[in-house]
Amino acid sequence: MKLSSRVVITVLVTTASLASVYILNPESATRLIFSLLTFAGIYGLSAIGLNVHFGWTGLLNFGHAAFMGMGAYTTLLLVPHAAGREGEITTSGLPIFIAAIIGILCASLLGLLLGLPALRLRGDYLAIVTIAAAEIFRLLVRDLEGITGGVYGIISYSDSLQKYRPQIVDSLLSDLNISVTQTWVGILAWISIGIVLLLLRRLNRSPWGRALRAVREDEDAVRALGKNAVWLKLQSFMLGAGIGGLSGILLAFNYGSLQVTTFVPILTFYIWAIMILGGVGSLTGPIFGAIVFWVIISETDKIAGLIFENANGQQLAGVRFALVGLLIMLLMIYRPSGLLGKKEELLLDVK
Amino acid sequence: MLDQLGNGLMLGVIIAVAAVGLSLLYGVTRIVNFAHGELIALGAVATLFFSSPETSRLLYLDRFSPLGMNFGLSIFFAILLCGVIGGLLELLLFRPLRKAEVGNIAVLVVTIGLSIFIRHIYLLFTTGKVQKFPLELQRRETYYFIDLTPRNMKILLVGLFVMFLVGCFLTFTRLGKAMRAVRDSNDLASISGINSDKIILSTWILSSMLAGLAGVFQGTINDVRWNMGFLILLLIFAGTVLGGIGTSFGAMAGGMLIGVLVQVSVALPFMEGHTEAKNAVALGIMIVILLVRPQGIFGLKERIS
Repeated sequence: MKLSSRVVITVLVTTASLASVYILNPESATRLIFSLLTFAGIYGLSAIGLNVHFGWTGLLNFGHAAFMGMGAYTTLLLVPHAAGREGEITTSGLPIFIAAIIGILCASLLGLLLGLPALRLRGDYLAIVTIAAAEIFRLLVRDLEGITGGVYGIISYSDSLQKYRPQIVDSLLSDLNISVTQTWVGILAWISIGIVLLLLRRLNRSPWGRALRAVREDEDAVRALGKNAVWLKLQSFMLGAGIGGLSGILLAFNYGSLQVTTFVPILTFYIWAIMILGGVGSLTGPIFGAIVFWVIISETDKIAGLIFENANGQQLAGVRFALVGLLIMLLMIYRPSGLLGKKEELLLDVK
Repeated sequence: MLDQLGNGLMLGVIIAVAAVGLSLLYGVTRIVNFAHGELIALGAVATLFFSSPETSRLLYLDRFSPLGMNFGLSIFFAILLCGVIGGLLELLLFRPLRKAEVGNIAVLVVTIGLSIFIRHIYLLFTTGKVQKFPLELQRRETYYFIDLTPRNMKILLVGLFVMFLVGCFLTFTRLGKAMRAVRDSNDLASISGINSDKIILSTWILSSMLAGLAGVFQGTINDVRWNMGFLILLLIFAGTVLGGIGTSFGAMAGGMLIGVLVQVSVALPFMEGHTEAKNAVALGIMIVILLVRPQGIFGLKERIS
């Protein structure tokens, strides 16, 4: 990558935002930064998946939370866990890595299932359909208590991943007073980002990647050249959904217990904010977007403190989410290409 | 199943009134307005704020206390406020975006950001509690074969009457005809000397006031929550799509139909014990409709390209 002014600015912004955490929280900075980077890794990975949909192919996916949820639920139900009202324990299960692959495939499959009808529709209809599908997914997960644990969620699954935690992680972090389990999930998230980015970079430069971007620019031209535009869109949808599924799995392991409320629509909008902030269509943009976004989020509590004395959880959440909304709005108006995106590569009009 | 018909009609009238506004706005401006739900909530939250007794604690911020106005007057001012806010949104946000030729997808994302922003402002103001209008409870009575409280019966009639008025407005008045002209072709309307900026502003105001009315209905029939707009927004989309996006009469019929289908589906045998999933039925119907007949029941094929 050529070292353009955009890259320099992005690196500066990211470094400055991380530094601000140190300045604002001198005591707990290390712990905060590690936790923040874990979240940034997971959400950034998810945003990379969403970017394949929107940035590369121009598909308005507002149901990303469902793909993440599909990956998470499939995987957790395949490893040893406890679920439901009674905390019914399942002791046997697949090794986590096989379960995770199945989870990713299931998320892709959901992408196929959703994409088959939805991709025949125009952009703004797709937005409505995906958001509705995510809501159906959430309602079904909540309702099918016998399978998914319903509102009681799934617990005691973390061991299946944590037992593979190398000893070196523990010994390195022993003096730092931070959560080793969370850091292990964070390390895996960043490794996943590395692998996914390498894969996507190859794909992006391949004829397939060029064809995808051509679909975004002018679908009719792609058709005229004998390419199957719908099939290309479907493949992109499945690929992005799979990446979303992987990030969902990591998110579940980060929390340690899985609630239906994890995969609510607002999660999708978080990912959107990260993607726009990082740069629509940019490969590495979502990573920087995620870091800056999580720094902003973790500092909102201070803003809430300015408005309310002794702000309670609801007030903190209110300020936080209002800020996310404002961020999405302002970015889309004033800087739709985010930190690293290219304006000419941005799909802004309905096809 | 008949027990649920009354509930279905009530939900239907909320959805239909809101869907007319959403559909009209989409037709005229091509904006899929995800913030429509927040205008609905504004109708309810404002009514609550205007009408609750001054002593009740509704808000986090102590320096604002409710106004304790007469209930009818509160509704009037709440709907007026919705119109004003809708107009301001157009003047301050969406008109500049249109003049800057920002694309439809960017505007769609902006409405989503706007919706999240406003919704959580409500959360900050309303303490997140489920609240009720200061109205006494009423017993259900039987009208022909529908069980409804007298108040809800009144809402049903008012809702139908308002939709009838909107229909007349669009069909017979100059402004209504101009709206439909801009909807069908902005360029042709401009050539004919229609000031499309003025028409779009009127559409925003009308659409927002209808949303506000729907919010007042929802608040009266059920309760007032900070996220009530978002909860019903997807059902409104379902109603709009079912009737055919961009057709006002389709939106009315589609909205009523979705409301009834959602409530009646509770009585289906396989839904027993799964009442929470009833919204999934409506959304499923919407997806199927988009699949087999994307122009909806009443839509015209060329509108969806």
